Amino acid sequence: MEAGRAVKSAIMLAFIIFFVVMMARAIIGSYTLTPQSTAEDLRGLPLWEIPLVYLWDYIQHGWLCLGFAFSIAGVFSEFLPQSFMLRYMSSGRRVSYLVATVLAPVFCVCSCTMVPIFSGLLYAGAGIGPALTFLLVAPANNILADIVTIQVLGWRVAIADMVAAGIAAIAIGYFVSKTPWGREFESRFAGNRGNPGQARAVELVEQPLDERLWSALKFGGYLARQILPAFFVGLVAVSYVQAFFPEELVRAYLTGPLGVVVAALLGGPLYTPTLIEVALGKALVNLGMSPGATVAWLMGQPYDIPNSLSTSRIVGWRIVVTYGVMSFIAAVASGLIYGVLVGTF
Amino acid sequence: MRKLKVEVIGVNPPCRRCKQAEDNARKAAARLGEEGVEVEVIKLDVSSGETVSRFGLVMSPAVAVNGVVRIMGKVPDPGVVERILRKEL
Repeated sequence: MEAGRAVKSAIMLAFIIFFVVMMARAIIGSYTLTPQSTAEDLRGLPLWEIPLVYLWDYIQHGWLCLGFAFSIAGVFSEFLPQSFMLRYMSSGRRVSYLVATVLAPVFCVCSCTMVPIFSGLLYAGAGIGPALTFLLVAPANNILADIVTIQVLGWRVAIADMVAAGIAAIAIGYFVSKTPWGREFESRFAGNRGNPGQARAVELVEQPLDERLWSALKFGGYLARQILPAFFVGLVAVSYVQAFFPEELVRAYLTGPLGVVVAALLGGPLYTPTLIEVALGKALVNLGMSPGATVAWLMGQPYDIPNSLSTSRIVGWRIVVTYGVMSFIAAVASGLIYGVLVGTF
Repeated sequence: MRKLKVEVIGVNPPCRRCKQAEDNARKAAARLGEEGVEVEVIKLDVSSGETVSRFGLVMSPAVAVNGVVRIMGKVPDPGVVERILRKEL
């Protein structure tokens, strides 16, 4: 029994370590993990062959990055005390903002639990501010999205996006909590404040290592099954963008200050899972999108339409419109600032 | 004969993982049922006021046995739920 557990643990650990080591090697050797196909490569091919070539190109380079990202996402969700962090976040103090921003990347919750956690934070009396900060920062900055963004778009743009998204989320959460409708909404849950963190009927069981590793890998696999089909469909679309989208249009509208505004506008309402947004961003970058516009594009995540609708059912449209407009402004501002910092728009 | 109560805390409408957690809890309940232990399996909504006031903020899916959350933020295998239930007997 004990020996069996040890063997199982060793096999699963070896699997995870394999991805970590391979990934480290790839980074040290600056081996590229993104598709190399250019518009010229793709354009000459028959229409049906374009997505296949692009996908194959992607998988050849990307399997390692995706395998690493999904394994690590599983390990994080299993081995980091997420429930403890959530409690801290719902403490209703100013520090909750910081906790929400800094710890959000470790939450790899599937999208169907984002909104429940958000409403749970509200019920628990965390206040609309930290709850909103969490809602805005978690989908854009989770570890899965971060790893893929770094690999596909480079660490500079990725870090700029993470930092800007974090700052924007805090500012927006804080601002909304000060608006009349934000206060009004918050007052409904005021009676709940102070409850969380008290003794609760929660005593988690301790599980042996092999069960926990298995649970981690299972969750990684679940995330992969959940995300990859849409991701590959997205890549098919990306392959056509890469092949046929006129470079002149990208050059004209996705560079310079105007480009930042256009990218922020496009990045938002377009409902795309983060990974597809990253892949599509890469295709546009290949076609000439400027770095500033890329950051604005990535920051457009929080105000896509389906998410906004489900949130507005909980908090009302006024709060959603407020944070939507503010996210847009933040996306434009971050794009402009990044453009100035790197010296090219 | 002892009676046990299992509450599966998930989102409403249920997502795949919450459904899976409920199924696994029911499998474990059925195994104990064969031995004559009565196990009641109930679903709770993670974001209802009642759930939050009882357990605080939990990550879904979560499994509570006799009113105490034992598993949070993951789908337990039937064997894991069964082991927790047996400890309660």
